Amino acid sequence: MKHLTLGAAALLASGSMALADGHEAEVNLQLQWVTQSQFAGYYVALENGYYEEEGLSVNIIPGGPDIAPPQVLAGGGADVMLNWMPSALAARENGLPVVNIAQPFVRSGLMLTCWADSGITEPEDLAGHTVAHWFFGNEYPFLSWMSQLGIGVEGGDDGVTLLQAGFNVDPLLQRQADCMSTMTYNEYWQVIDAGVSPDELVTFRYEDYGVSTLEDGIWALEENLEDPEFVDRMARFVRASMRGWAWAAENPDEAAMIVLDYDETGAQTEEHQLRMMGEVALLVEGGDGRLDEEAYQRTVDTLLAGGSDPVISEAPEGAFTHVVTDAALAE
Amino acid sequence: MFWGVNVLLASRSWPFARLLVPVIFGATLLILWQMIVVRFEISPVILPAPTDIAAAFMSNLPTLWVDFVQTIVRGALVGYVLGCGIAILAALAIDRSPFLQKGLLPVGNFIAALPIVGTAPILVMWYGFGPSSKVAVVVAMVFFPMLVNAVQGLKESDAIQRDLMHTYAASYWQTLLKLRLPTALPFLFNGLKICTTLALIGAIVAEFFGSPTVGMGFRIKIEVGRLAMDMVWAEIAVAALAGSGLYGLMALLERKLTFWHPSQRRG
Repeated sequence: MKHLTLGAAALLASGSMALADGHEAEVNLQLQWVTQSQFAGYYVALENGYYEEEGLSVNIIPGGPDIAPPQVLAGGGADVMLNWMPSALAARENGLPVVNIAQPFVRSGLMLTCWADSGITEPEDLAGHTVAHWFFGNEYPFLSWMSQLGIGVEGGDDGVTLLQAGFNVDPLLQRQADCMSTMTYNEYWQVIDAGVSPDELVTFRYEDYGVSTLEDGIWALEENLEDPEFVDRMARFVRASMRGWAWAAENPDEAAMIVLDYDETGAQTEEHQLRMMGEVALLVEGGDGRLDEEAYQRTVDTLLAGGSDPVISEAPEGAFTHVVTDAALAE
Repeated sequence: MFWGVNVLLASRSWPFARLLVPVIFGATLLILWQMIVVRFEISPVILPAPTDIAAAFMSNLPTLWVDFVQTIVRGALVGYVLGCGIAILAALAIDRSPFLQKGLLPVGNFIAALPIVGTAPILVMWYGFGPSSKVAVVVAMVFFPMLVNAVQGLKESDAIQRDLMHTYAASYWQTLLKLRLPTALPFLFNGLKICTTLALIGAIVAEFFGSPTVGMGFRIKIEVGRLAMDMVWAEIAVAALAGSGLYGLMALLERKLTFWHPSQRRG
């Protein structure tokens, strides 16, 4: 029986499947979030022609608060997506066989930012306080962390009162919450820009507590990886993207400006993007795109320890492959 | 075959056929849905099969129940009663005062034009993450449609009927209770029926912008995040049932109270 998704049907209808020889091979990349320096490597690879040199024509599709990249991938709207590992593995368990083909980010940028005057000095102090966290797949590291510490998330004096917040830092600034999830390269600085001094804050990087999960990996559908042509296309894509990341890490200021040029919303400011690029460079430092299996295992262990409502109920099989990165790094 | 039976039934006017026709129609759609999903192997993250949704529904009843109480009972219903009640009182005030008619109606219109995605985050900031902010969003959504219908309804009685009340030396309140409110009922119910749907939408969507870790909007959001679409559809089913129930209740009240109106005649 022919496997048919709505997206494939749409592609067949539009006739863009038939790529004659000599044409550039197309790659549609679905970002996890809006255009910003978090994705500088890809925009640099596009701007500096690294994709072109590999014979690729790459479309970078920005995401947003209500866009689930795995769904776009499932619907055929993209060939490849950037996704945090927890949400990608949850999607895999729910019947969308996605596979990690490369992992440019070697470190997590997720952290908890708390008001110092709330009396929180270490993670154990979180009990009895209110934490605003993003959900939509971003909540898993926190839930795992709390369950490892034995702190409940159902409120009360010895548990955390958890709030589902939008992707902004208002709940912290409004003091509706004592702590809030932030990214080292983005929301933390939004708090600082709101006139808060770093001394007034206490931060916990998930990375420092052994509960961090891998972020911004490159994922593709398992069935496509059976096609040698697709694997070769992905290898070229990953190689060019990693060149982009290397250049962006060396030239953070220029990279941030390239990102700004591609921001069609005009929502991003120069200062914010320059700072973000500096922080993101720290997260990709030392990585060559190949997934570190130790970090993968730590992510899986963190997720399996998710307490009463674990993200994934069993260790995934075949959720990553080195085939693409091996081919990309071979040349 | 189903279809043939259904067409035949629809052309009859047996009493039980009135109920049977939509049931068969709905069942046919579900069977078609199931067949298409299975036949074309549609990925469960795009469209789960009805059987998967039913299974998710049955195995998550406690969760669905607490979400229902949080969102529908503590959010939508409270906001619905408050919003519609305030709107009817406002309509009476407008009816008595030309000044308010010129001043309040345009403001009400302006509030109605505010998009929920703009107001919800602000209201969550003002009223916190709990049900109060959802109630506020629902009130803002239902107020205007109810107001317009109530104002229009109060104008429904004919001048000759009002003159008659006047010759009886009826006071304002007597005229209101004996003549004007009864004639306004079809309009009031029209507003109440429209607002049932708006209240549900308001309460669910408002949760996307901030909520405790319970509620239908919250659940839909996190389950989409983990691609458990069967659970998302189960919540949608709850919303549809709650919406139909509330609408049905209003329609039933309307039939009981406005039996005299031409639209309620049965051939």
